[in-house]
Amino acid sequence: MKLKLVLKLAARDWKSGELRLLVVSILVAVGTVTAITMFVSRLQVAMEHESAAFLGADRVISSNEPIPDLFREEAESLALTLSETVTFPTVVTSPVEEARTQLASVKVVDEKYPLRGELRVADVPFGEHRATQSVPAPGSVWLEPRLFPALNVTQGDYVGIGHAELRVDKVLAVDPNRGGSMFDMAPRVIMRAEDIAATQVVQPGSRLEYRLLLAGDLKTLNTYFEAVRENLSRSIRWRDVRGTEARIRRSLERAERFLLIGGSLAVLLAGVAIALSAHRYALRHFDHVGILKTLGATPNDVLWGYMLLLAILGIIGVSAGIVVGTGAHFVLVEVLQNYFPIELPPPALSSFTLGVATGGICLFAFALPPMLALKKISPLRVIRRDVPVEPVSAIVTYGCAIGGSLALLVWYSGNVFLTFILLIGIVIVSTLFGTVALVLLRGSRVVGMHAGSAFALAVAGLQRKYKQNVAQILIFGLALMMLLILFLVRTTLIEGWRAQIPEDTPNHFLMNVTKEQVDGIEAMLEEYVDSGGDLVSMTSGRVTHVNDMPVREYQRNVRSWGEGPRLSSGRQLTWMEELPEHNRVVRGEWWEPGSEESLVSVEEEYAGSWGLDLEDELTFDVAGIERKVRISAIHAVEWESLNPNFFYMFSPGALEDMPAMYMTSFHIPDEHKPVLVDLIYEYPTVTLVDIDAIITQVQLIIDRVTQAVEWVMYLIIGAGALVLIASIQSSRDQRMQEHALIRTLGGTRKLVLGSLVTEFAVMGTIAGLVAVCGAELTVYLVETHLLEMEHELRPEYWAIGPVAGALLIATVGYLGTRKLVSAPPVRVLREL
Amino acid sequence: MGRSELSILNGVDITIATGETVSIVGESGSGKTTLLGLLAGLDVPTEGAVWLDGAKISDLDEDERARVRGRAVGFVFQTFQLIESLTSLENVMLPGELRGDSTARADALNYLDRVGLKDRTTHYPRQLSGGEQQRVAIARAFASNPKVLFADEPTGNLDTATGGKVADLLFDLNKEDDTTLVLVTHDQSLAERCDRTYTMSAGEFQT
Repeated sequence: MKLKLVLKLAARDWKSGELRLLVVSILVAVGTVTAITMFVSRLQVAMEHESAAFLGADRVISSNEPIPDLFREEAESLALTLSETVTFPTVVTSPVEEARTQLASVKVVDEKYPLRGELRVADVPFGEHRATQSVPAPGSVWLEPRLFPALNVTQGDYVGIGHAELRVDKVLAVDPNRGGSMFDMAPRVIMRAEDIAATQVVQPGSRLEYRLLLAGDLKTLNTYFEAVRENLSRSIRWRDVRGTEARIRRSLERAERFLLIGGSLAVLLAGVAIALSAHRYALRHFDHVGILKTLGATPNDVLWGYMLLLAILGIIGVSAGIVVGTGAHFVLVEVLQNYFPIELPPPALSSFTLGVATGGICLFAFALPPMLALKKISPLRVIRRDVPVEPVSAIVTYGCAIGGSLALLVWYSGNVFLTFILLIGIVIVSTLFGTVALVLLRGSRVVGMHAGSAFALAVAGLQRKYKQNVAQILIFGLALMMLLILFLVRTTLIEGWRAQIPEDTPNHFLMNVTKEQVDGIEAMLEEYVDSGGDLVSMTSGRVTHVNDMPVREYQRNVRSWGEGPRLSSGRQLTWMEELPEHNRVVRGEWWEPGSEESLVSVEEEYAGSWGLDLEDELTFDVAGIERKVRISAIHAVEWESLNPNFFYMFSPGALEDMPAMYMTSFHIPDEHKPVLVDLIYEYPTVTLVDIDAIITQVQLIIDRVTQAVEWVMYLIIGAGALVLIASIQSSRDQRMQEHALIRTLGGTRKLVLGSLVTEFAVMGTIAGLVAVCGAELTVYLVETHLLEMEHELRPEYWAIGPVAGALLIATVGYLGTRKLVSAPPVRVLREL
Repeated sequence: MGRSELSILNGVDITIATGETVSIVGESGSGKTTLLGLLAGLDVPTEGAVWLDGAKISDLDEDERARVRGRAVGFVFQTFQLIESLTSLENVMLPGELRGDSTARADALNYLDRVGLKDRTTHYPRQLSGGEQQRVAIARAFASNPKVLFADEPTGNLDTATGGKVADLLFDLNKEDDTTLVLVTHDQSLAERCDRTYTMSAGEFQT
């Protein structure tokens, strides 16, 4: 067909509203993808920045030797921002009367430190802290709060580091780059690089860690990585944000996956909407095509004409989608700006490419197949309406749809497994529930006889066109299912995150406590802490024999390759009267209190990886003394909980008599923190580690990720609503025609409206049922395989699904058909 | 589905010469509409052959038959078959536009004038009466300068008076343009206006 003619027909169809839903569906597909991709890309970078604070940089190169110049030169040539630090453990002395000494971890910094995150200082030890842009001036140092009582110094005093004496300037409350390593336990001192020579601590053989801190945009950092990659080694290591902190890394990864699942669902939903509106459009054009063919249009004219039309619609839909998507993303950013104190980076250009490609693939996979039917319309249709339309082969239709979905999902999520799960879920649910819906609809005949007339009419309508209705139920069901999946996964995710860091998560570790100090410290803490505070013993030891076989031989027999902790290495051992909180026995039995037997409980994964089981006998070397114990329990620990966790827990009788140091973790509210100063004054030898900063940072990130997840969900609910509307629209014509006829024959508006709403409600109920089952199945797969979480059934949603389905579909159905039911039936008939 | 073969037309042999007017009459279900579909190249027979304007259209594929239709055939239908979303002028312009004629618009205006709808060019089918719609359809049929005009119950949906006027118009234009006319109808009086009349019953011609 000629371009002009196609344009003219398209313009007319647009005016009459026939094409609007199709274009709006494309717009939504493209818009959602663009908005989500853009937002996620910016969010990812923002979240990475946030996490970068843990590193104090975007990327770090670390080594125990001075870092070779080539790393510096390459970074400078790429215009990356650089900062360098050297960290070493040393004894700090206070030259006051009754001189005290304390082992500290000294960090030497330049004036650019840190490149990401911020240092926080306080006026008094353990006092309120604030951010600062500066670093210590040459000649001065900042000390962590606990060093003040430990060294018995105040601001303005001098402390000795090596051969230098440096003035104590500020209280260092937070050094972002503690590296998240909670076991770098010595208190922190920071000083300037200018003073390092005077200390004379940098000698051959000193234990130093050199770090080159790098900051810049992702692309440059990647270029840099590629450039220096071959110079990296075991001794010169590369660190990025994801290597820093397990909790954050996992939260970020889960959030990213969630956003990707959400985005994929949005694309699928929009795809369904596109297919439905294209199908409706094609259906309404069967007669047009018949006429055009009698007037001499060839099948190929028709095909190319409608392809051209699709292309035009595609261009309109995609352009509008990009504009709307970009706009939506700005709205999102604007709304969330309050929650993001940091500035978001500009959106990635690839978001546009993805948007355009989504539009193209959607058109090709979802809109084209129904149009192919038009090519085959027989011109005979103009004289004989009953000429059947030769359907487009199912292979083409479903092949295109499945192929298109696969391509979109894989490309969008970059995750074949996720795609596979979603498709399997959809296929299983469609097949299973298609059958169930078919049986339900065909079997509902009995109900219809006993019901009121609107209901009878509705049931009759549902049964007469049961094939179409089953299809529609499946579409409703799939749309609801996708929304439900998203909602359920989101709920689990957020609950999981919240549970990870409950209110009373320990914010301090206390270590190096002697047996004599235990009672005094426990008494002191008891009054002020919210949780924790019970001191547990720690004794170093290692396994020497397993069932009397030397451990190295045993180790070799189990496996030669080694990943994870070795069996033969030294471990911290403890003894416990009772099973501690956050631990549970998975096999065997915990010992009776006061048991004299020599028993041990081994951590589940560790035991599993070394083939240890109940009744095995382990021989330990503890401070040169041999101890033989029998495994009586296997326990599981929550590694993510910030409590002391152990691979081996002994029964009291097995270890109690051994020399040990004690440790604990506890949560102390801000207002009671000053008591810690007293504690350190009274027990200057203990080590206190404040991990409040880390906890706060993790909480902050999780809060933001949660916000993002919620917003993405709202976007997708929009796409879901569109599918519902498209689906109701696609069946509207036939329903309306029948109901107009009933009204001409004397049926009241109330009867017709009642019957329509009932029809939609029945379909909504079944669809809700389909959705709940499908969602449970898919969520199970997603949670267990993709998010690596525990799955719990949620019976509370099983009833909500059908009820919500009925209400939702009935409402949308009512709104979509209300106008036509109010119009005079003759006009309705004429318009269809 | 286990349906057995059903022969709709049997032993039908008909030759229509250029410029002739022929009517086909018969009861509902006698096969006259099927025959019209075959003659006009809208459908192909399972057995036998159809020739139209020198082409053996029963051997052509759908693309080629469409070209023959575009070049040589015009249609008038019982249900008018106008495209609802186009105005009367645009409907009449369609055949010309499909062929790519630059004179499509002028020709269409000319034919609308000839059917007396000069002042209805911007109206949509829905805004026209049944008789007016059929006049637009007739204008569209003649606008393609057909050699053969096929009319399927052209007055079937119209009242007697309107039907009469439409029929007059059809025959007048046919005479003026020297077109061959094949008319399928129930209406004996309409059939009698043709040069020849065939009566169909159960898929066969009655003699």
